[in-house]
Formats: sequence, C-alpha cells, structure tokens
Amino acid sequence: MRTTVLIVDDHPGFRSCLRTLLEADGFAVVAEAGDGAEGLRMARRHAPEVVIVDVGLPDISGFDVARALAGERAGPCVVLVSSRDAVDYGGLVAESGACGFMPKSEITGDAIERMMSRR
Amino acid sequence: MRRDLRTALIGLAVAGAAFAAVCLALILTSDHQSPTDPDVVFLAGNIGFIETGLLTWWRRPDNRFGALMAATGFAGLLNHLTASNEAAVFTLGLFVANLVAPVAAHMLLAFPSGQLRPAEMRIVALFWAVATVLSWPALLFTASGPARRGPWPENLALVTPNDAVVTTFGILRGVVAGAGVIAALAVLVGRWRRAEGLQRRAMAPVLTIGVLTGLVWGVLVTVDGVDPESGAVPVLQWVMVVYALIPVAFVLGLVRGRMFGAGAVRLVVAGLGDAAGPGGLRDRLAVALGDPTLTLAYWLPDQGRYVDTAGRPVELPAPGSGRAVTPVETEGRVVAALVHDVSLAAADADTVRAAGGAVALALENERLDAELRANIAELAASRARIIEAADAARRRIERDLHDGAQQRLVAVALSLRMARGRIRDDPATAAELLDAAGAELDQALAELRELARGIHPAVLTDRGLGPALAALAGRSPVPVELDADIDGGLPAPVEAAAYFVAAEALTNVARYARATHARICVARVAGAARIEVRDDGVGGADPDAGSGLRGLADRVAALDGRLEVVSPPGGGTIVRAVIPCGS
Repeated sequence: MRTTVLIVDDHPGFRSCLRTLLEADGFAVVAEAGDGAEGLRMARRHAPEVVIVDVGLPDISGFDVARALAGERAGPCVVLVSSRDAVDYGGLVAESGACGFMPKSEITGDAIERMMSRR
Repeated sequence: MRRDLRTALIGLAVAGAAFAAVCLALILTSDHQSPTDPDVVFLAGNIGFIETGLLTWWRRPDNRFGALMAATGFAGLLNHLTASNEAAVFTLGLFVANLVAPVAAHMLLAFPSGQLRPAEMRIVALFWAVATVLSWPALLFTASGPARRGPWPENLALVTPNDAVVTTFGILRGVVAGAGVIAALAVLVGRWRRAEGLQRRAMAPVLTIGVLTGLVWGVLVTVDGVDPESGAVPVLQWVMVVYALIPVAFVLGLVRGRMFGAGAVRLVVAGLGDAAGPGGLRDRLAVALGDPTLTLAYWLPDQGRYVDTAGRPVELPAPGSGRAVTPVETEGRVVAALVHDVSLAAADADTVRAAGGAVALALENERLDAELRANIAELAASRARIIEAADAARRRIERDLHDGAQQRLVAVALSLRMARGRIRDDPATAAELLDAAGAELDQALAELRELARGIHPAVLTDRGLGPALAALAGRSPVPVELDADIDGGLPAPVEAAAYFVAAEALTNVARYARATHARICVARVAGAARIEVRDDGVGGADPDAGSGLRGLADRVAALDGRLEVVSPPGGGTIVRAVIPCGS
C-alpha cells in the first residue's frame, strides 16, 4: 500500500518535478493544488496521509494550511517546504502543528518517511 | 467699457429723474390721493434708491447691489401710477404697484454681495408670488380701494365686484407675505450676527433699516390682507419713512465701510510689531478685517503652488465655494493670498486689498519662512520616499530571486538527485533528467542576468552611459532612436540616474504608450546632463499615479536635478531630466 500525498505549491514546475520524484520513490500523489484554499479542499476530499505544503502561497501562508489541517481529527502529516532555510522562519514551524520542515532541494521519499515515523 | 457704463448710468439717472417728475405730477394732480399722503415720502425714497443705486453701480461695477438698488427705485416709481386720474394708467398702476416688494426683498437679501443663495432665492420667490399671482386675480373683482381723498378712477380690469374673492386673496397674500417677511428677517438677522467686529459695524445701518422695513411692511400687508378696508394709512406712513431711509442707511454704511477700511488697515499696521511668530500676521488680519475664518496662503513661484505657514500645500477655494481669494503683491510679484469669506470681498474688496498691501513686506518675510518649511518638508518626504523605494526594491529583488532563479535551482537539485538514482538502471531517463536540469540552469542564469542588470547594468559601469543606453534601446520592443552627445563622460551617479530615467521611460513606452517610435536624446548642456525620452504614443501619463516616475524624480532631486513629464492626451509623452554634473 503506497503512501498517499497531496502537493500544495504555486509553482507548477516544482509540483511536476516533485510528483516525479515521489512517485519514483513509491509514493502515490493523489492531487496537486496551486494555493492554500484549494489545498485545504483537496486535503478534505482525498484525505491523503501526507500533505507537502510550500510556506509561501499566494493566498494564505503554508503555516495557516498546516494549522487548519492539524486541528482536524486524524489529520494528515503536514510537511512544510520552502526554497528558504528553516532558520528564516524561527519558531513558526513548531507553532503551526506541522510534522516538520524541509528545504525544497533536500526533499526525498526517505526524508518524508522519517518525518512520518517521528510523528 | 467704463465709458459705456458711464453713459448708460447717466441715461438711467436722467430717465429716473424724468419718471420721478411724472410721478410727482400724477400725485399733485390726483383726485384720489393727497400730496400729504405717504406717497410723497415714498417718491422721495424711490428717487434716493435710484440715485444711490446708480452711484454705487458706478463705483462698484463688479457688484450687482447698485443695480438692485436702482431697480428697487424704478419698481417703486411704478407704484405711483395709481395716483393717475386716467383709468388706463390707474389700472396699470394697480397691477404693477406691488412689484417693488420682491425687488426690494431681493436687494436686501443680496446685501452686501449682490448675489443670492438658493434659500434666499426661494424667499424672493414668495414676494414675487405676493406681488403677482396673489394680487392680480383680486383686482378683477375690486371696484374701489382705500381712497384717501376721493373715489378711485374706474378699474378697467374689473370683471364684477366681489368682496369675498378680494378678502380671500387678501388673506392668502397676508399669510404668504408674513412667511416671506419672517424668513427674510431670519436671514438678515443671522447675517448680522455672523458678521464680526468692524465689518458688523459697517453692515449695521443697512441691515437694521432693512429689518425694520421688513417688519413694518409685513404688518401692513398682513393687516391690509386681512381687511382691505382697514385704511392702514398710519402704518403705511411708517413703512414709507423707513423705506425712504434705506438709501440713507446704505450711504451711511458706505461711509462706515470706508472708515472700517481705514480702521482695518491702521489696526493691521499698528499690530505688526505684535504679530511675531507663525500665525501672528494671520490673527492680526483676521481681527482687523472682522473675518475669523481668514487664512493666509504663501506663493512659492519655484514650485508653482501655495503653502500654509507650516509649508504644507494649500488649494485655493474654487469660485462659488463661499470663500474668496485676494492676492497680495509686492513690486508686481504675488507673495501671498488672503482666503476669506466671500461676503468680506463683496462688502469691501478695496479694504481687503489695502490691508493685504499694508502687510505685503511682512508677508514676504513669512513667505520665505513658509518656503523654507516647505522645502524642509519636501526634503523629509523625499528622503522617506527614497528609503521606501529602496526597501521596496530589496523586497522585489528577494521576491524575484525566490520565485525565479531559486525555484529553478531547486528543480535542478531535484532533477540531479533523481538522475543519480537512475543512472545505472535507467540511463535514458537519467539523461532526460540531466537535459531538463541543464535547461533549468540556462533559464536561471538568464533570469539572474536580467535581475543583475536591473540592479545596476554592468555595461554602464564598464563602458559608460552611451553604450548602456544603446543596449537599452536594443532590448526595447518599440523601435528607439538614440542621440547621445556626451563626450568626456559624466559622473557615475549622474550616469546611473540618467540611465534609470531612460530605462523607466522606455518601460512605460512599451507598457502603456502604444507608441510606434521613441527617441532618447542625451547631452551635456551648461554643466548639466540633459536626458530626454519622447514617444509618439497616446500620452496622458500621470507622473503622480505610479511609484516609478516619482521614485526617479526623487533620485534626480537627490542630485539637485529636476524631472519633468509632459504628456498631453493624444500628444505623446516627453520625460526629461536635467541633472547638474557638479564641478
């Protein structure tokens, strides 16, 4: 049974690249979303096990998406990603209720599975 | 023009005198009116109105009050036609006898500006109703009136005598006239109360007599309206006396106004020593001219605008706003403007000008202070805008890096990682991934070059303004002709400012101008760099609408230069900067 994933990012090129990478690592990408509101809708519709959310979305921030999903029963593991470093965001990641943060350039299937296992 | 007016006024004076002589003859030969009647007093009052009105008209042709006074006198003379023994003239007199009331009401309500506001127009309309539609129908049923010596001549308009109709119209007339009088009195009293100090003293005689006339006339019309046979002759005598006093009161008002003017100027000059500090001069002028709402605006010729004492921009009031503007000049130059209530200008524009002239030198000093404050304020605002623009530029660069090159480099990193995982098992896919990564790197490089060029073009540093402008022109989607005449080069900050003026102007040409052609001219003229970008597009550019040109204006101003945008609708746009090159 493959782990289901939702990708929320406003850059289509990155979404496409990440889908290829995750599917090659054995994940099932069930949906993609270009902004926070669509991401929340997709998360509720598909109930993925992992939601990979870009911090800088055009409507609401990735922290808001993580906070909204963390407040739901049996919510997914939210992985915040960004092309910036974690230190740029201070304590915001911990306060958001996300499983963790990962720089975009370091995303791998193994890293996501490790983050899920620490949950 | 002045001669034409003089001829017309002399003609009116002669006509008035002739008409008055005819009226006097009618009164003296009247079978039904006595020379001892109030009509003689009324006649004297009307002559006074005509002559005083024409004199005022001559002295103040810009103010309609004189014309209104003369019109009141002429309308009053029409009343005397009722003294005629001839039935036709007498009947005509009955119909026009009361026209003096609305004209006089108009005159009093328009004092001193000569103009009516909408509410005052409605009051005057009430008086017109009394004099026409509420008077004329009754005359069709009136056989005789309150004759004071003998019976009336025949009323040729009589249809049939009917006292009930006459009484009904009389009551209506009384009610409407009463309402009109009360409303007019409220306006006059309110105006007098709002007037201040010396101005109030100048207005007092006319307004007092005007109020008194209104009161007595109101009583007369009301009593007469209720009972046309009441024969209210004693009341009528009083109303005629106060009516005749109005021109006298107006002359008195003029004299007091002149005294007010001289007093106001004396008061301002005497208080100059106490008017130190910002706002001191304004306070002295406000007290002296009796207008607490008076404000001062100082003219800054270099900036082409008015400012207040603190150097803040001031918009002068538009005509019809209830405020008037009196410019103050010294040696033929405007130094300031007095902004005051319009009634002050109407009452005595000469006094306001004289008071302004008396303090022109002191105003010039305050103007210099205001100019200094305006320059300091502009400098502070400009610095704030430059800091804000620099912050915005940094945010934009960060955003561009994040959204552009950074995203592409992330994609490259992911592609390389995926390629590494496949290079042994699936070398074809790995090669595709490496190709994609290479393409992403090329795009990232192009974006970084564009970004670096926006921060500071390397060609400008390496080869100077001419080649940098040539490169700029070459990248423009609109054909650009370059005319650069800057042998010897320019200081680096001047070159950078000139380059960014051209870059911003060409960006706007490409985005908004719908132009087919543009031209860049840059030259060194009299120790300054002069750069001009003009296009043949739609024009109508507003330099204050966007941050681009304003930011450039600040940048140019920081080098003591000046940026100018000329962009008439449909006439293309010229962006021109002149920047001193220093020693």
